[in-house]
Formats: sequence, structure tokens, C-alpha cells
Amino acid sequence: MNKQNQLESIHNSGKPYIIYKSRKGFDLFTNFSKKIILNNKNINSFLSRRYKSKSKNTDLFIGFFGYELLNNLINIKIPKQKNINFPKGIFYKPEKKINLSNNFKYKSQNSLKNDDFKININKDSYTKIFNKFKRKIKSGETYQIKICTKYKKKSRINALDFFCRLSKSNLAPEAFMVKDNDYSIISCSPENLITKEGSLITTKPIAGTVKKDRGMNKSKALNYFRKNIKETKEHNMIVDMERNDLSRICEVGSVKLSRTKIVEEYKDLFHYVSLIRGKLKKKIKNIDIIKAMMPGGSVIGCPKINTLKLLNKQEKENRNIYTGSFGYIKFNGNMRFNIIIRSILNFKNFSEISVASGVVVDSNAQHEFNENYIKAKALIDLFK
Amino acid sequence: MIYIIDHNDSFTHNVVHQFSLYDKVECDNYNRINTSNLNKASVIIFSPGPGNPKNYPSTSKIYKKFKGKKKMIGICLGFQQILFCEGAKIIEQKKIYHGFQSNIQVTNNKSLFQKGKKFRVGRYHSLKLKEPFKIKNFDITMRCLESKVAMAFENDKDKIYGFQFHPESFLTNNGNLLIKKILSA
Repeated sequence: MNKQNQLESIHNSGKPYIIYKSRKGFDLFTNFSKKIILNNKNINSFLSRRYKSKSKNTDLFIGFFGYELLNNLINIKIPKQKNINFPKGIFYKPEKKINLSNNFKYKSQNSLKNDDFKININKDSYTKIFNKFKRKIKSGETYQIKICTKYKKKSRINALDFFCRLSKSNLAPEAFMVKDNDYSIISCSPENLITKEGSLITTKPIAGTVKKDRGMNKSKALNYFRKNIKETKEHNMIVDMERNDLSRICEVGSVKLSRTKIVEEYKDLFHYVSLIRGKLKKKIKNIDIIKAMMPGGSVIGCPKINTLKLLNKQEKENRNIYTGSFGYIKFNGNMRFNIIIRSILNFKNFSEISVASGVVVDSNAQHEFNENYIKAKALIDLFK
Repeated sequence: MIYIIDHNDSFTHNVVHQFSLYDKVECDNYNRINTSNLNKASVIIFSPGPGNPKNYPSTSKIYKKFKGKKKMIGICLGFQQILFCEGAKIIEQKKIYHGFQSNIQVTNNKSLFQKGKKFRVGRYHSLKLKEPFKIKNFDITMRCLESKVAMAFENDKDKIYGFQFHPESFLTNNGNLLIKKILSA
């Protein structure tokens, strides 16, 4: 059976599987022998348990940590929120791995019935929250904060069809999809939060995005970012914050900027990116790394703890997977995790898309509200 | 040993790494102070952090207790905290500097640094020192070239120093040299 047929047969069999972007194409993981549903109690033992490496390419756990779980891990309590009771985190032990090329194909037969997405915060309430946070910036309680809005609608989607089309329009380096019996996630996340190999760790924050309009090329994009004071300041702040988070777990003097403020080109847009690396201290365990780095700062704001508290006090609805992390932990201790953004969660016949954009002192409510819509639109368009 | 008091900031561990280049460093959150480390330390650092000095009364107490007995250094909020304890007013500024790179200059000949010398530094502050400001033995020694806002003070008699900017930021050139000089003062 060729790989294309294999993919279709796995999908049609209805068994759960996961696809994650690899360097050359995609990795598909399936035949799960274990499924661990995480909660605030078992996460510590899950992260501390050690497994014997049998040097198989399936010696790993793959899955995600939701936002609430990550807050709890660093002792930040989330007040009671509207909740769809989606699991706080799930990890799977695969027994089978298949490499897919970047051009895998799938076409769904079903047509979509399309009602409109509803947004949970309208422009007026958004502006109110925006102004409130702006006052918090003036008084120094936060330096940058990301307001999250959520688009929701009733729908049943074919996850593979969506993921296939999404990957065609936007081949993101941290894209993934999870298909299980009662939920699915598709994502074109561009942002790697943790790559750990041996004692080396890197993080690659993105702060700054510009659309590839006519005439925009890589060097013009760089020029745009350099001249744009707001983007530059936001990026600087994230770089210092990520240096800080790495410094908690890395040896003194080892935290270095490998790439500072470079432009990366994607199909429809340019990102302003830095790459920071460090050498882990000897006694550091994976749980320490996760606590130091998650939730990823670039999608929260700065300083992390106070900003998380301000956000949690404001938000009436659980973020679920949004701004959590998806990735894997290998039995040999190596890890790769992204930040879950630009994703669709499908659960109980509902699809939800969350987006956020930043309030800094010189941003404006109208602009950021629209920015949120632009970010969501690429995903909303998949429903057409 | 250097004891760093963390005010829940996302830059504190950059400060820890910077000071660790010169001495052993211990760091605790401001509401989980280790008294034995605090007493043992030869230098106390007040970290940056969100909010206003009046939000951190326990840090003010530590400052007052050890003034004149140990070398103390404040960074950003820590800078404001020390001045606040000395009776200064800390106020909001019209233009806010978060993630901003500024040129500053040594403006006082009592400074450990040469008068007229310029530095390029990273800034993250909403609030600033209200001036005129006059407290015995405290001199404002550096200012922002553009806005003239106070960027450093030195009290060489009691060995108390403060930076409104962030010597540990990747936006600050030669930040390590600044710290080295203050530590050996």
C-alpha cells in the first residue's frame, strides 16, 4: 500500500491518529497503546515518570497541554469560567509512525453546511477591555498584554480535509492535527517554543507579522519591522523575556541569541523571529523546563505572572487548547513543543478558533480588533 | 554572596545570570525571603518588576533595615523602590518606554563613570522619579539624552546604586561592565 492510500485507510478506519510537521514533510503517528488524559493531579507524575528507550522511532509521548493546566503547573489559579469540559491535556503513546511528504492529498466527499461564526467579544467590549489594559500599562502593572477573542460555530468537520487544505495554503513549521473519536484539532502554528536535544535547548519566539502583499519581499519586510517602533518594542520585550525563561534552567553565560530579529518567509506572510539557545543545567528535569517556558510568553504578554493574572481575571471563557503547547517527549528525554495558536478545536459538534493580539502602550483598539479578525479569517475561510 | 529579591518579573533571571558572572548568587521571590541568605549576603539586589514601589512594603522594610550595612543595587522597579524609601515620589510618565533602546549620558562628576560618557541601554518602565529630587548623599548620575529622565543614581557613602534602565537587557551595550564597576565600588 502506498503512503497516500495508507493515510486514507487510517483516516477511514476511524482510529485516532496525529500528524505533526517534520523537517522534510509530516510524521503520522497512530496505533496508540496508551492514552493519558491529564489533570492538575496526574501531570506531575506524568512528567516525572521515566521510560526505557528501546531506540524505536515511536519511543515517545505525543499530545498537548491546555492553557489551564499550564497555569496550574506554575501555581496560577484560574477563576471559574464558562467551560465546555474539554480535557485539560492528552498524551498518546504511538506504536506506528509513517513519514508523509509535504504534498499529501485528501479530498472529503461531504459538503459543509455553513452558518456564521459568532465572536465572544464584540468591538465595544473589546475596546473597553483594551482601554482597561492600557491603563494597567500606564501604571506599570503589565508592559504588554494579549487580548484573546474566540470565534465559535456549530459544525462537524472532516479534520483531514481541513488540515490538508490548510497545509496547502500555509505550510507552517509547527503545524499539526489530532484526530480522536470525540474531538479533533487542526493547527498551522508557526512557533516553536522548546526544542531540547541532550543538554541543548532552543526557543524561537515570533513577534511581528506582515502580510505578503504585492511588492513586499524579504528585505522590504525587514525594513518594515525595523522602522515600525511598535513591532520592534514588542519583539525586544519577548526576546528579553525568553532569555529570562531560559536563564532559569540554563547554565550561567550559556544563554545566547543565535539569530536576532530576522525575517522568515511563509506562503502568505513574513514573521519577525529570533532564535535563543542555552545549555541546560545538570540537575534540570523536563518538568522544570516546562514550568520555566510554558505558557509561551510571546502569546501572553510581559511580565508573565502578573499578565497571566490580569488575563485570567478578565476572561470569561476557558481557553482550552489555545496558547497551550503541542509536541512530544521522547523516552530519551528530548522534547519538541510548539505554541498552540492558529488552530481549530472541534469538540461536541462545535468548532472554535481563538486569536489574540497585543496591547502595548501605543497600539490602538480598532487596529488590534481587526488584526484579530485577520488572524482568524485564514481559518474561518476553510469552512467555505 | 549576592542576594537578589525577585518582584515576579520576567527579566529577573537575566539579572541573576549577569550578577553570577562575578559572584555566587541566590535569588528568592519577595514574598518568600530566605532570612539566612539575606543576612549572609554582602550585596542585595532589588529586581525589576510590575507595579509601583508602594505595592512592595516587605522590600521597603529590607531596604531600610540594611541601609548603610550592605551594598544595595536597584534595577528599574528596584531603582524606584530605593528612591521611594528615601521619600521620593514615583509618578507616571507621558511617554512610556517598554522594550525601548535609548541613549543615556553620565551627567554628574560624582559618578563612578566618566562624566559625559554615553551608553546605549534597554528600558522597560512606565513610571519615573519625580523631580526636583534632593536627598542627602544621593546623586542622579545618568540621564536619558532625549527626555532627561533620571536613569541612574549613586550613593557612594552608603554604597547604594540604582539603574532605571536594564543593564541585563540584550538592548544594553556593555551592561556587564556597568555591573562589574558597581560591584567593585
